[in-house]
Amino acid sequence: MLPRPTTHSKALGPGVAGPELAVATSAVLDRPPQPTAQRPLSGAQAFSVDPSLVESADGPRQHTQYPYVTGTSVLAVKYAGGVMLACDTLGAYGSTKRYKSLERIIRVNARTAVAAGGEISDFQYITRLLEELATDDYRTDDGIELGPREVFSYLTRVMYNRRGKMDPLWNSLVVGGVEADGTVFLGTVGMIGTHYTDSHVATGFGAHLARPMFRERQSDDMSEADAEALLRDALRVCYYRDKQSINKFQVAKATGEGVAIGKPFALETKWDYKAFAAPTKWAIGAW
Amino acid sequence: MSGIGTGYDLSATTYSPDGKVFQTDYAQKAVDNSSTALGIKCKDGIVLAVEKLVVSKLLVERSSRRIHNVDRHAGICVAGLLPDGRMVVNRAAEEASNYKSFYGEPIPGRVLCERLASYMHLFNLYWSMRPYGTAGLLATYDEDGPALYLVEPSGVAHKYHGTAVGKARQAVKNELEKMKLGQLTCREAVVEAAKILHKVHEEDGKPFEIEMSWICDDSGRVHQRVPAEVLAEAEAAAKAAMEESDMED
Amino acid sequence: MASSRLVAGSAVADAEFSRDISLGTTIIAVQFAGGVVLGADSRTSSGSYVANRTQDKITPLLDHVYLCRSGSASDTQAIAGYVQYYLAQLQAERGGPVRVETAAMMAMQMAYGNKNALQAGLIVAGFDADGGSVYAIPLGGTLLRVPFAIGGSGSAYITGWCDKNWRGDMSRDEALDFVRNALRHAMARDSSSGGCVRTVVIDAAGASREFIPGPKLQPTYDELPAPA
Repeated sequence: MLPRPTTHSKALGPGVAGPELAVATSAVLDRPPQPTAQRPLSGAQAFSVDPSLVESADGPRQHTQYPYVTGTSVLAVKYAGGVMLACDTLGAYGSTKRYKSLERIIRVNARTAVAAGGEISDFQYITRLLEELATDDYRTDDGIELGPREVFSYLTRVMYNRRGKMDPLWNSLVVGGVEADGTVFLGTVGMIGTHYTDSHVATGFGAHLARPMFRERQSDDMSEADAEALLRDALRVCYYRDKQSINKFQVAKATGEGVAIGKPFALETKWDYKAFAAPTKWAIGAW
Repeated sequence: MSGIGTGYDLSATTYSPDGKVFQTDYAQKAVDNSSTALGIKCKDGIVLAVEKLVVSKLLVERSSRRIHNVDRHAGICVAGLLPDGRMVVNRAAEEASNYKSFYGEPIPGRVLCERLASYMHLFNLYWSMRPYGTAGLLATYDEDGPALYLVEPSGVAHKYHGTAVGKARQAVKNELEKMKLGQLTCREAVVEAAKILHKVHEEDGKPFEIEMSWICDDSGRVHQRVPAEVLAEAEAAAKAAMEESDMED
Repeated sequence: MASSRLVAGSAVADAEFSRDISLGTTIIAVQFAGGVVLGADSRTSSGSYVANRTQDKITPLLDHVYLCRSGSASDTQAIAGYVQYYLAQLQAERGGPVRVETAAMMAMQMAYGNKNALQAGLIVAGFDADGGSVYAIPLGGTLLRVPFAIGGSGSAYITGWCDKNWRGDMSRDEALDFVRNALRHAMARDSSSGGCVRTVVIDAAGASREFIPGPKLQPTYDELPAPA
C-alpha cells in the first residue's frame, strides 16, 4: 500500500489533495525551480533520469532503427517426418504493399530451412551470415553439416548479441528442419533473442490468428496432407484479417529428404455469404 | 646448392653474388621433394590429383588431406611442407570469404590466384620470415569458366593447361604434353591422372594412395573430391594398364 | 539540420527555406529486352525552396551501370562516390567489367551498413553479359532484383499507373516512353518533383543520355501547354 498524504498539497494549494510534487513549484519558492538530471520537473523520482536533460545536441544516441521493408507472419507446424513453413510473399513499405514477389523462406542446408518476418534488409543480412556458415561447413568437408537445432542456437546468439548492442535485427525468425537422427525440429527467435521450440509456431499476427487453429488441429504425427491443409486454412485466416498480407503464399517442407520450397500460389477465399452482401438486412438502423 | 656454407643463404633478404635468394630456392626444393601432385585443365573443368605415400601401416586411410576446398568454386592441392600448405589454404579461404562478403559474388579465380601469390611473396621479403615451403595447385570455376593455377613459394603464379609439382613432376609433365588436354573431359582425365600417378610412382612396392578432386559440370561446378566409386574405377583401370604394359615388357 | 540562426533577420526564413537539401524526387528504371532505361526528374528542394531546378539524379557508377538517387542529396552523393571508388578498384583488380549485381551489392552495403545515418533510396540499373537488370535499394538497405523500380516522393502518385502500364515485353522505345510518361504524371502531382526529365538508356551499345526540358513535356489533366 502506497502512503498517501493526508493533508492538502502545499504545491497545489489548499483543499487539493494529492501527492507532493517532486520539485516544489514557484508557488512556494521565491525563484523558479531548477531541474536536475536526478530530479526532473516532471515529478519522477530520483534515479529515473529525465531524458530531456541528458540528451546531447543531436538527441539521444540511437541505434534502434525503424523497419522499412517488412514481411508479416510466418506459420510453421511439425508433422510426421518433417516440418512445414508458410508465409506470404509481400514486402510492405510502411502500409504500402510494395514488393509482391519477395521470398521469405530460405534453405540453409539439406536439413534446415529458415523463414522470417520483419525488416527484410536485416533478413538478407542474416541470410548472408547463414550462407557464410554453410560455405564454411562445405569447406571443412568432414561430412558433418549443421543441424536445425545448431542453426537455431546460432541465430538466438546473433539476435541477442545485437539487441545487447541496442541495435537489434528487426526480425522474427522461424527455424525448421530434421536432425541427422530423424528428429523433427521447430523453433522461433524474436528480435531481442527471445526463443523457444514447439510443435507449432507462428510469428506476428499469426500468433493470434493461426496458433489457436494449430492448438486445435496440429499433432506431431499428422500426415503431410493434413499439415498442408491446416497451414492453408491458417494462411487464409491471416489473409482475411492481416491488412499487411497478400494472397500469394509459399509453403516449404523440410524432411529427411531435404528442403523443398514451393512455388507461390493463391488461396481461394470466400465472400459470397448472403449476409455479406446485405449485412444490415435484419438489423435495420445498424451500419 | 652452391649457397650452402657461403653465408648468403641465411636470410631471404640477402642476395648471393650471382643474384639468387637461396632461402627462396630452398623453399622450392621442399616442394620439389614432395610426393607428386598434378592438375589437368579439361574442356569441362579441372582435375587435381596427388599421390600420397602411406608412411605407416598404422595410418588411418585417407586421414591426411592434401586437397582442400577453399570455397564452393575453388580448391587447392598442396605440395611440399604440409603445415605450410595448410596456412596457405586457410589464407585462401579467408580471401574468398572476405571477397564474397564485400562484393557479394564469389572471388574470381584470377583474383584469388593473385592474392595468394602476393601472400606467398610477402614471406620472401623479410629477414625474420621464411618463405613457405609449399606450392598450391589452384582449381577454380568462375564466370569465365574453369582455370588451373600454380602458386609457388617465391610468389610466382602461372595459369596452366596442365602441370605437376613434386618428385616426378618432369615425368608427369612429359605425359601431360602428350595428351590432347583441350579434348579431354574430366571423367576421362580422372582415369588418365590415375594412370600417370601409378606410372611415375618411383618407390615401387611402397604403398600409396591417390587423392583426387574435380570441379566440372559433373560436380555441379563445385569443387569436391572425386566420388569414391569413380576414383576406384580409375585406379582399377590404371592398375590394369600397368599390368598390361608389364606384360609387354 | 540547419537551424534558423543561419538565416536570422529574414522573417519567413526559418524552416521552409533552410531544411536539408533533399531530392524529393521521382526516379524510375525499367528493364527491357536488350537493356535498361533509367529516368529522373530534375528538382532538388530545400523545404519549399527549389534549390536546384536542373539537378542530375542519374549518376554513373561504371560505364555500363548507373544509379538513380533519392533521399538526402548529400548522403546519396557520398554513397555514389564510395561505390564509384570501390567499383573502379574492383574493375582494375579483375581486369574486366563488373556485373550490375555486384555494383548493386556495393551500393546496398553502403546503405545497409549505415542505415541509421543515411536517408537514401537508390535504384541501380545497368547492362552486363546477362543483359539489362534493375535493382531497388529502398530506405532500410534491402536489395531486390525487380523488372522495374520507382522511387522517391513522386513514386507514390504513379504506382497504380505503372502497375497498369508496365509490360514485360517492352522494346527500347516503349520502355523509354513508359519512363517519360511515368515521370510526367508524377511531376504533375508531386510538388517535390518537377523541372525536366532526364533519361539514360543502357544497352549493348553503351549508355546514352537524353534530356527533355520541362516545357517540352506533354501537359497532363488540368494543365496548360507551355506557350510556343
